[in-house]
Amino acid sequence: MPNVTVLPQTNQLIGLYSIIRDQNTKRGDFVFYSDRIIRLLVEEGLNQLPVEKSVISCHGGHEYVGAKFLGKICGVSIVRAGESMEMGLRDCCRSVRIGKILIQRDEETALPKLFYEKLPEDISERYVFLLDPMLATGGSAMMAVEVLLKRGVKSNRIFFLNLLAAPEGIKAFQEKYPDVNIITGGIDEKLDEDKYIVPGLGDFGDRYYGI
Amino acid sequence: MADTRISPGVVDSSFISQTNLRTSLVDSATSTSQDVHRLNNSKYIPPWTEPYIIGVAGNSGSGKTSISQKIIEHLNQPWTVLLSFDNFYKPLTKEQSVKAFNNEWDFDRPESLDLDLLVEVVGKLKKGEKAEIPVYSFASHSRTNKTTTIYGANVIIIEGLYALYDQRLLDMMDIKIYVDTDLDICLSRRLTRDILYRKRDLSGAMKQWETFVKPNAVKFLNPTMNNADLVIPRGLDNVNAIDLMIRHIQKQLYIKSLSHIEHLKTIGINLKFNIEEFPNVKTLRDTNQTRGINSIIFDKTTKLDDFIFNFNRVATLIIEQALGFLTSYSKVVIKTDPRNCEFDGLVQDDKILAVTIIRSGDCFNQSIKRTFLDIPLGKLLIQSDSRTGEPQLHFEKLPKGMTELTHKKIMLFDAQIVSGAAAIMAIQILIDHKVKQQEIILCAYLSTEIGLRRILRVFPDVNIVIGKLSSMNGTENFPDYNQEKFLDTDWHFRHRFIDSLYFGTP
Repeated sequence: MPNVTVLPQTNQLIGLYSIIRDQNTKRGDFVFYSDRIIRLLVEEGLNQLPVEKSVISCHGGHEYVGAKFLGKICGVSIVRAGESMEMGLRDCCRSVRIGKILIQRDEETALPKLFYEKLPEDISERYVFLLDPMLATGGSAMMAVEVLLKRGVKSNRIFFLNLLAAPEGIKAFQEKYPDVNIITGGIDEKLDEDKYIVPGLGDFGDRYYGI
Repeated sequence: MADTRISPGVVDSSFISQTNLRTSLVDSATSTSQDVHRLNNSKYIPPWTEPYIIGVAGNSGSGKTSISQKIIEHLNQPWTVLLSFDNFYKPLTKEQSVKAFNNEWDFDRPESLDLDLLVEVVGKLKKGEKAEIPVYSFASHSRTNKTTTIYGANVIIIEGLYALYDQRLLDMMDIKIYVDTDLDICLSRRLTRDILYRKRDLSGAMKQWETFVKPNAVKFLNPTMNNADLVIPRGLDNVNAIDLMIRHIQKQLYIKSLSHIEHLKTIGINLKFNIEEFPNVKTLRDTNQTRGINSIIFDKTTKLDDFIFNFNRVATLIIEQALGFLTSYSKVVIKTDPRNCEFDGLVQDDKILAVTIIRSGDCFNQSIKRTFLDIPLGKLLIQSDSRTGEPQLHFEKLPKGMTELTHKKIMLFDAQIVSGAAAIMAIQILIDHKVKQQEIILCAYLSTEIGLRRILRVFPDVNIVIGKLSSMNGTENFPDYNQEKFLDTDWHFRHRFIDSLYFGTP
């Protein structure tokens, strides 16, 4: 799958997912171990950004050709669940700007509807880490991508970070936005008839915020 | 912004000088394939398995204790242990105890001492094992239920009436000292001590002296003077004799630490080193991201807060990489919300413990806290002697119950491996506490090749994760993990600058 990165499924990572998937896991543990996975996702995203060669003058006087990160980045979280990933992002890029998009299901049409957006002015020049922990049908994330594209962000500069994805969501995404990068912690079996990811991990936002 | 330019301070007084590295290059070129087979034969002998043992005997009140304290004070060696015979009296039965309170019990015969236990304790310390020292109460004439735990003695002073009496102890001693003070002076000192500090009355104390102390001294103690290498007349007053003795001991210790360093230097140089042949050694993947982070950390113009932030990032990556060495997992079926779907999960069997080498290893503390919800954290303080460069263990506090745990991994942290000496010593300490090599994961951000070789030469089965590994040789073909062509001789691999910058103090 081009542009889709799945974190290496190590025993350690499966162990982490075993904790956060478990319905009996307490909120404190859920938050702690989710944050750990989120940092791995962010580091993987950062790893995919281009670098340029740069001569580094080391402590002690040695010089060598190192690497410098290129370009500016920003985070965009899809309210509410996506905001849970902001701390993990800040743990890896300290003073990163963070934009927000609120998308909700329209009660009349049952389609996702954009309620609110607040994005950095210069977002068109930036690499964007789009944050939403679950990729199910991809409806709201694709709407968010639409917003970003309208603001002039290049599609290959969008990195959609999520903890768990359904194959249906990935497929939909790739058909509509083949250039958008998806970085996920794991791909689950399928969506069930109610569009829940199975086996999944429940409602991420509810569990993270303890509601 | 002034504090962001702190010059990374202390030069690691590590013992590889550049010249040594050069000679080692020549050596490695002539190494043969036999080296691999010799791998397991190389053994690290930590200084505490060859402690320098001093015996100090003499009459009650002769000034043994004062002289022993004088030795300790002048040697100024970490891990000097004073074993006083006072704590090795045999516990008394009820009847014996009654006699003792009436001053009718003979404490001054060799039989009243548990010499077997003392021999056992010294033997254990000599093997580098932990030993429990009993605590004896003169007020109740019995052992208290407390013990003092001692481990890793560099110098042991055995001080007591009969320090030079038991042949088994004599055999273990490096120097035997007898303090020969006039009996009248001994008596006056003894009376003062018994009455003031041991809460006896005058007549009782005199009775003891006449019935037990003096006859025993003549019968058992005085002959042990023949076992001594050195007899000090007049005790503490004999300034010249004490001065000569201390100089002699200092010289012996200096020779001992030089041979320790010589031994360390030779380890690993001839090891045929190919990292692919060590599945237990991993370096951080060379990616844009790690190169970028390294560049920020190495760059002398980086601001202090960026330095700390990026070190925490790379430290977290090193820890995640280290967790790849965990092999034991159990299958478990997890139920997920909201449909009770089943997920075939894994539960990690090993309990993880962390041990940091103060202070450099403490740069990992924040990343440890970030990765593990609750993790016992032990500490080791190992420092190089400023005079000889010899690594010395100063302080040791390991997680409780570590030895007894069956499924465990101990993550050992040091920001940098320069000579390898501190890491070797730290691993040896864990092994002395019955931890297996395979249970240890050593995590370091920077390492020299020679340091890593030394560690592997002594402990070929320890798991190791290195953030960035330099190379011993400056040839054309650098290994994949070192495309930046860093050499062991580069300043930032040779100096402990990470913790100086991280904590902002030299």
